[in-house]
Amino acid sequence: MSSTLAPKSLERSAASPRRRRHKWTTERIIFTTLNTSFLVLLGALMLYPLLNTLAISLNDGMDAVRGGIGIWPRVFSLKNYEVVLNMDSIYQAFIMSVLKTVVVVATNLLFTSMLAYALSRKEFIFRRPITLIFVLTLYFDAGLIPNYLLIKDLGMLNSFQAYWVPTIISAFNLIILRTYMKSIPEEITESARIDGAGEFRTWWQIIMPLCKPVLAVVGLFVAVGSWNAWLDTLLYNSGDPALTTLQYELQKLLASSMNAGANSGNSAANAASVGAGGQLTTPIALRSAITMVAAVPILLVYPFLQKHFVSGLMIGSVKG
Amino acid sequence: MTDAPVKNLVTASGPEPAPEPASSSRAPRRKARTRPAKEPKRKITWDRIKAQRVLLLMAVPLLMYQILFKYVPVYGWAIAFQDYKPGRGNIWNQEWVGFENFVDLFTGVNGERFRRVVVNTLGQSVLTLVVGTLGAIVLALLLNEVKNAPFKRIMQNITYMPHFLSWVIVASLASVALSLPSSGGFINQGLMNLGIVQEPILFLTEPNHFWGIVAGTSLWKELGWNTILYLAAITAIDPSLYEAAEVDGAGRYRKMWNITLPGIRPTIVVLLIINSGWILSTNFELPYFLGNGLISETAETIDVFVLRYGYQLGNYSLAVVAGIFKTVVAIILVGSANMAAKRLNQETLV
Amino acid sequence: MSAGLVACTSDSDPDDGPSKPVVIPEGDLADKSGTLTPSNPTTLTTWITTASQAPAADNKITKLLKDQLGVTLEYEIVTPDNVDQKIGVMLAGGQYPDLVGTTDLKMRLLEGGALLRLDDMLATGDYPNLATHVEDDIKKMSYSGEEVDPGLYIFPNYNRFYGEVTGGTYYGPAFWIQKRVLEDAGWPDLNNMTLERYFQLIADYKEKNPETEGAPTVGFEVLASTGREWGMTNPPALLAGSPNNGGVIVDDSNNAQIYADKDIAKDFYKVLNEQYAAGLVDRESFTLTFDQYVAKLATGAVLGMHDQGWDFQTATDSLRSAGKDQYTYVPLMPVYDGAEPWYADRPVMNTNQGFGISVSSKQPEKAMKFLDLMLSEPWQKVLSWGIEGEDYQVGDDGMFTRTDEQRANARDLTWRASNRLEALLDVLPKHNGQFTDGNAYSPDDQPAEFFATLTDYDRNVMEQYGKKTWLEFMNPQPENPKYYPAWNITLSDDANQVNQQLTDANVQNLPKIIAGDPADFEASWNAYVDTIKKIDVKVYEDAINAGIQERLANW
Repeated sequence: MSSTLAPKSLERSAASPRRRRHKWTTERIIFTTLNTSFLVLLGALMLYPLLNTLAISLNDGMDAVRGGIGIWPRVFSLKNYEVVLNMDSIYQAFIMSVLKTVVVVATNLLFTSMLAYALSRKEFIFRRPITLIFVLTLYFDAGLIPNYLLIKDLGMLNSFQAYWVPTIISAFNLIILRTYMKSIPEEITESARIDGAGEFRTWWQIIMPLCKPVLAVVGLFVAVGSWNAWLDTLLYNSGDPALTTLQYELQKLLASSMNAGANSGNSAANAASVGAGGQLTTPIALRSAITMVAAVPILLVYPFLQKHFVSGLMIGSVKG
Repeated sequence: MTDAPVKNLVTASGPEPAPEPASSSRAPRRKARTRPAKEPKRKITWDRIKAQRVLLLMAVPLLMYQILFKYVPVYGWAIAFQDYKPGRGNIWNQEWVGFENFVDLFTGVNGERFRRVVVNTLGQSVLTLVVGTLGAIVLALLLNEVKNAPFKRIMQNITYMPHFLSWVIVASLASVALSLPSSGGFINQGLMNLGIVQEPILFLTEPNHFWGIVAGTSLWKELGWNTILYLAAITAIDPSLYEAAEVDGAGRYRKMWNITLPGIRPTIVVLLIINSGWILSTNFELPYFLGNGLISETAETIDVFVLRYGYQLGNYSLAVVAGIFKTVVAIILVGSANMAAKRLNQETLV
Repeated sequence: MSAGLVACTSDSDPDDGPSKPVVIPEGDLADKSGTLTPSNPTTLTTWITTASQAPAADNKITKLLKDQLGVTLEYEIVTPDNVDQKIGVMLAGGQYPDLVGTTDLKMRLLEGGALLRLDDMLATGDYPNLATHVEDDIKKMSYSGEEVDPGLYIFPNYNRFYGEVTGGTYYGPAFWIQKRVLEDAGWPDLNNMTLERYFQLIADYKEKNPETEGAPTVGFEVLASTGREWGMTNPPALLAGSPNNGGVIVDDSNNAQIYADKDIAKDFYKVLNEQYAAGLVDRESFTLTFDQYVAKLATGAVLGMHDQGWDFQTATDSLRSAGKDQYTYVPLMPVYDGAEPWYADRPVMNTNQGFGISVSSKQPEKAMKFLDLMLSEPWQKVLSWGIEGEDYQVGDDGMFTRTDEQRANARDLTWRASNRLEALLDVLPKHNGQFTDGNAYSPDDQPAEFFATLTDYDRNVMEQYGKKTWLEFMNPQPENPKYYPAWNITLSDDANQVNQQLTDANVQNLPKIIAGDPADFEASWNAYVDTIKKIDVKVYEDAINAGIQERLANW
């Protein structure tokens, strides 16, 4: 993934040292000011949608329908969260989502990195055909029904296995990991081998620690993907309430909130009794609360992973 | 692309940048690895297989696994050659029609339209990819220049947040942002306050703006997310390179250009190759939610078309045909991109 | 509830090992036949397509089912957005729960062989409520195609009416106008409404009130967001005095024809084009998402639009809860010269929705009995009104009433999860209309409930026009034609494709025609007609006509 080597750049800069040293501080101040301002502005632009969603989620539903809410609720209300958090299945669904995500991340990192290690080894004779077979899977989808029948034939319907077994390898992450591993100097593996380490030990004890930053990223990708997935629940596990997931339950709740407003044409349900008052949720407000409940837990993962984004890991290993 | 002699100097798949011919070697070369110029063709012999049995053990079971879960179900593509009706029961119990569905898609009553949605898909997708990649690289470089660690962390966290909002919400926010000032359209408001326009623009009624709107909205949503991988790649750059460059008097931009960018180049190249295959698999929601009759000539994409004429009409064969078409195009594009990268001595997928 | 009657019917369930004495609880809710009793518990797996939510674990009706009938329902609920995918894999897998509740996908389940033919079971006479339910409409409800044996497979869930159809709110299509516009115009006569008068009312008001609470007043909004294009395409038929048959007008000799390219359409879009140029039609109409559309209505700034009442209910609710009744709407029925308005129709039964019993069920009799019991009046009241004394009161006159608190509860998603079986009820066959004691099927159809929730402002509006309900603002509803409505005729793939092409042609051309320079109107219109000429409309019309003939012959 990333070269630890950039000879030509250095050569160039060495050849033309144009920058004068005493200007350094001024330049730095100007750059830092500009850069910080730009990033703050960008941050504001990026933060806006989430704050807007948060504000709507904390707003009275009937009022929210009118639109025009910025980053502060106009008519404060916790009703939307009350509806979401009072949902019967939500806590169990939350636990299942966490469990599923943890298992998927663990198995994925383990198997994908092991395979990536093998495929990063230049001397491995089947490296190219095997890589090709995995890469191709990035670009086709067999379709829902054959996938479903496979899971069914394997006896994994309505089972926890249906969540993680089909996904232990991600071709995209495999490429990312392999590219990164290829950039690790061969001396490292060679010296390991001279010390008598086998392939498994080299992978696990030498290469894996060096891959921390990229493992953190891949872990994040897998975690987010698994957390946000609901199609697997719908297709394979919707028959067992114990296996339901947060995203799937929230998705259903969202549909029912839409329904509460819109099915009146047929059933005339509830439509006439509005004037009586009572705080009501509306699809737009509930959708915002649902978004927050679904997003916040997974948003918290990144800060924890950031400590692995430390440079110079590899150098230490080479030197040491 | 000429087969430059350079090719023989470095490995075909190595991450090193092509070396400059001249070399005043004050650069720190202690990390320089001189690899064999080109991998020698190796014969597959029993001895070699035996020697690599552990590597095989690591790879082959997972290969079998992948074949089972990804390749075996591909028999479902048979639907493309059938007049598929779910009511007829299983997939082998259908009426076979050969390539009729393909012919129908490309030249049938909707043929002209299908060609147009392919163009729209390409347009939206290429623009999104270019803008998104450039944006993510620039942001990664800028974040990398931030020396205040807490600020850097906070910025990373903020910029990746929009990724977690659904496209429905993002489309709805974009639609409001692009509307008239009286409906909350702050873009028009801003343009008018700055005196750039006199009358508000109804962005979503102008076919010419739509690809840009898709690219811009996607940039907004995915910028921070796309930056993560580049930031991880930057962490692996040897800090001593920067130190040495500073000793040589290299300034900020020179270091960015000559150390950071080449350092993440393999990542950029690999992502571009992978993404080149996804060029026909665009985001579905933006064209679906933001598109309207006035701009459908530039808005409608393959996925939207397939929804309207495939799933919604119960025409599953059409959906599978479109899927196969996308796969074939993807493989051609990825193959070409991979070959180009190889010619240019860049990182490759395979 | 105490166990009362004890019967010794050991033949009720031969599968359940040594038969226990059957204990039937007292009261209206128990199964007198002894099939479903607490002493002989039954678990029914239930698959439901619905947007309604699953009951909470502490749901009181769930408990009642258990106590009275010994029935436990295991739900698998799939929302309409997801059902295409789920139904595909379910048919491929070939395993189904006992009860299968569908919305609009009966044909796929039916042709996929998932559903049991029910006629023979019904003929045993063991299911009197169901038998009565289907008696008059058995032909309409039965499948008459060739993919599987013709016969009855599901029990439609809505609009099989008992007694009178009551209710005061109008949910159908209309040209809506804000009450403040009528008030300002001195409550003008609404009979014999024309497009010209409708737009004149709006223009006059907008002239006087260019702003509404700080925002520019919008004269007329065209509903054209994705999936709701009918807001833009349906008016010509209504203006011509034809009921809502979707994209076609059916003449007296039952011959269907599309109208999109006919003069009745051209006249309408010409008026819209002129009004657009005059600044009365919202310039943003065609770019609004549905959320934005509702938001605009909910601000109160929009004076009028063509829509169906249920579609903008959220906006109405929002305005009412803010006490802004003057911004809510009255339905109007403009027509062309010489046409009689036929906007309101009699509610139609959708025979593609409802509960069936699957071929995989090991206990079809029990499943059938369950459906039968749920259709009995006592259970229907429980399902629709709730528990007497808790969710409603019975007055001295025998009429059901609710307090404000009870009404508010019924609007609360959380409360409903614990106190209603919404998902189940959505798909169950219903006693729409009236119960034998004169109460309406549901609170919302109960006239007393309707009046109790009217605000003073709305009462005044009705008084001005001498009406008692909103429904009375609409045309009296004649008997629906035998085939009606043409919009739910099942089409072949080819016809569906043509239909989609027509929709696309509308969506792509009509906004340009409406928003264009009036000088270009003829040219844009001709371009549109040319587009339609290129479409094989006959395939579509033939399919509709075949469907109409089939219905005339079989219904």
